[in-house]
Amino acid sequence: MISSINPSIKAIAVLIPGILLSFTFDVFTPLSYFIFILFVTFTMGDISVIKWLKFFSPFFLVALSFAWMTILYTNQTFSYGEVMFTLWRFEITTGSILTGTSLALRSLCFVALSLLFALTTDSTKFMLSLMQQCKVPPKITYGILAGYRFLPLFQQELQILRQAHRIRGVGRTKGLKGKINQFRRYAIPLLANGIRKAERVAIAMESKGFTGDTDRTHYHQMTIEKKDWIFFSFIVGGFIIIVVFSYNLGYLNIFGKKV
Amino acid sequence: MKQEQRRPLLLIENFSFDYESLDQPIINRIQFSLNKNETTILMGSSGSGKSSLALCLNGLYPDAVEGVSSGEIYYRGKNIRDFKKGELNQEIGIVFQDPESQFCMITIEDELAFTLENIKTPPSEMARRISEVLKLVGMDGLQNRKIHELSGGQKQKIALASVLLLEPNMLILDEPTANLDPVSSLEFIQLIKCVQEKHQLAVLIIEHQADDWLDIVDRVLVMGRSGELIADGNVNSIFMEKKTLLEQEGVFLPKRFSNTADSFRNFNHRILPSEDVILTVKDMSFYRKKQIILNEINLNIRSGEFIAIIGENGAGKSTLLQLMAGLLTPFKGNIYFFDKPMEHWDQKELRKRMGYVFQNPEHQFITDTVLEELTFGLKLNGYSEKKINSTATKLMREFHLEKHRFSNPFSLSGGQKRRLSVATMVDETPDILFFDEPTFGQDARTTREFMNMIERLRESGTTIVFVTHDMDIVDITNRAIVLHKQNIVYNGEPEKLWQQEKILKKARLRLPYRIRNNHEEGAV
Repeated sequence: MISSINPSIKAIAVLIPGILLSFTFDVFTPLSYFIFILFVTFTMGDISVIKWLKFFSPFFLVALSFAWMTILYTNQTFSYGEVMFTLWRFEITTGSILTGTSLALRSLCFVALSLLFALTTDSTKFMLSLMQQCKVPPKITYGILAGYRFLPLFQQELQILRQAHRIRGVGRTKGLKGKINQFRRYAIPLLANGIRKAERVAIAMESKGFTGDTDRTHYHQMTIEKKDWIFFSFIVGGFIIIVVFSYNLGYLNIFGKKV
Repeated sequence: MKQEQRRPLLLIENFSFDYESLDQPIINRIQFSLNKNETTILMGSSGSGKSSLALCLNGLYPDAVEGVSSGEIYYRGKNIRDFKKGELNQEIGIVFQDPESQFCMITIEDELAFTLENIKTPPSEMARRISEVLKLVGMDGLQNRKIHELSGGQKQKIALASVLLLEPNMLILDEPTANLDPVSSLEFIQLIKCVQEKHQLAVLIIEHQADDWLDIVDRVLVMGRSGELIADGNVNSIFMEKKTLLEQEGVFLPKRFSNTADSFRNFNHRILPSEDVILTVKDMSFYRKKQIILNEINLNIRSGEFIAIIGENGAGKSTLLQLMAGLLTPFKGNIYFFDKPMEHWDQKELRKRMGYVFQNPEHQFITDTVLEELTFGLKLNGYSEKKINSTATKLMREFHLEKHRFSNPFSLSGGQKRRLSVATMVDETPDILFFDEPTFGQDARTTREFMNMIERLRESGTTIVFVTHDMDIVDITNRAIVLHKQNIVYNGEPEKLWQQEKILKKARLRLPYRIRNNHEEGAV
């Protein structure tokens, strides 16, 4: 269902709460919003839980380590409250634990929002929509699309280079100097071939009449309908409601200042 | 009609072009015209500037590369400089050589729509036009297929389809069949013939090997090494009267006109393989992303043999070659080199005793000069300075690279690159050498030089294994191995393969010229 939402609207809908969240330093706000996003993802996203977890789990570990670091090295402003326990020379206070947890939850919110966007959006449609709704010049959008096709080619090229070097016995070079040389040997032909191929694609595109002119017709008309605005209000509105709620309950904390 | 004939579609006057300066231009003061409803083939040795000329003709060069040019080109009497950006491209469409790098979208439908959007076709007409053009190239119904999943032949058909959507008056084909297997290549040529007849286009074909195009070609142009146009005329006059000139320039004469077509015939047959098996492939399977590429392959290679591995695009030929060279590890089964399993070989020792030459020689270069390139392996193996120098000198003499001792390998010509890539593999006389499509994209002269080099290697006892699409080369090997649907469907003398019509058909192979020619003569 979310996959049918106009990609530009979806991007903005995801971006706004993402940015605003980074100002909230309490636990309640990001936690509630995180639950809200999970609810949206699995009820309206048509995303399989396993696929989602596959992408999500590495970020979960990163968020945990963020939290741990913040707990250990909390800024003076946030290390309020009693000392819960002491770890070697670090004094862990309730404040630092709350700030750390909040940071972890915020990171998880970003990840969940990004996944909500990435897993429901077709890259071609996103570019077409950027061009049609946000007036991004065709030169840039089609450039990105052509580049996107290149990624698997690059991988192939690297594999061939590796093999070619093995044939020449390069794996045997020893020492740091050898390693640096080896990197240079991969990088230069890889870049040279990349540039050569990019040039070819550019010429092929131009020879099909592409001029970069914004005045062109569109096979896939990307439109903005009522449902796109409903989705937008839902995601952004959900955030506002949670913030208001958290304010009324007295949890809201912006930049370390209770409001 | 007369009026049309008097005024050429494209008139090229005293035109020169170069990427840097006009002192020694790649294209040197050429003059010719191309007419409506005429099919022309443009030939010339590798690196003679044919592809650059094609891009000059539709106005993309010199601007796209910030090159310099002089002289004028007129399209229907109007100077091409006076066309607005993108206008001339609609009149003159190009299909390029490399099927990988001429698309920017993911699906066939989107790619074709991209062209239509460029020329501002109303969206309501697009689906109909896409379906029409796909019908023309025989691919209707595949609109939603992803381009990167198509075969090389299909990709070229899509490239042609997207150009045809521009409804051009002229079509330029820059070695469109170079990457295709023999049957796909013939199919593509048939398609061009049919399109040309239907739309009365002017067609300019750039090709090394004219043979298959001869039926549809009206006129031949030949560019010389110095970028000048050295021949312009109809097929018979050029290939009969200017034979010597073309041979000097290293241009492939169509075999119909060449008495040296059988030049490979008397080749190599003196050297007979021994009975000693040096490499054994046993019950070997290989998968890529859960897809079977090779299934239960069994194979013996004897010392001194000359073997060709053939089959259609994507049959797994290169994969088999890489497995035998120890570059990939089999999923199941084993490969033995001198009765020792591949994985038990010491890499250093293994690389001394076998060599592998990639399709693209540039992939093989890892240093900055020819000399360093040649001595790289020797240095790694810790030989004395004296021995390294004497071997390098010997190799440079044998492979005619003395003059380029300090050149950067990437700056060499196509033929020189190929020679250097082989030279780096033979510094220690390997027991076996693998080649992945070694004659691909080479002109007549470099191909002949290359085959001579192979003969010398065989004389010194090296076993040679080729992956190739060139049936005339297969014809002179000791053994042909045909891959089809993950299996070996033929393994034996090429002479007997030519009688197996069923196998030839399903593996999309053709007969070599020698036999096709006999058949034709027999029929008369």
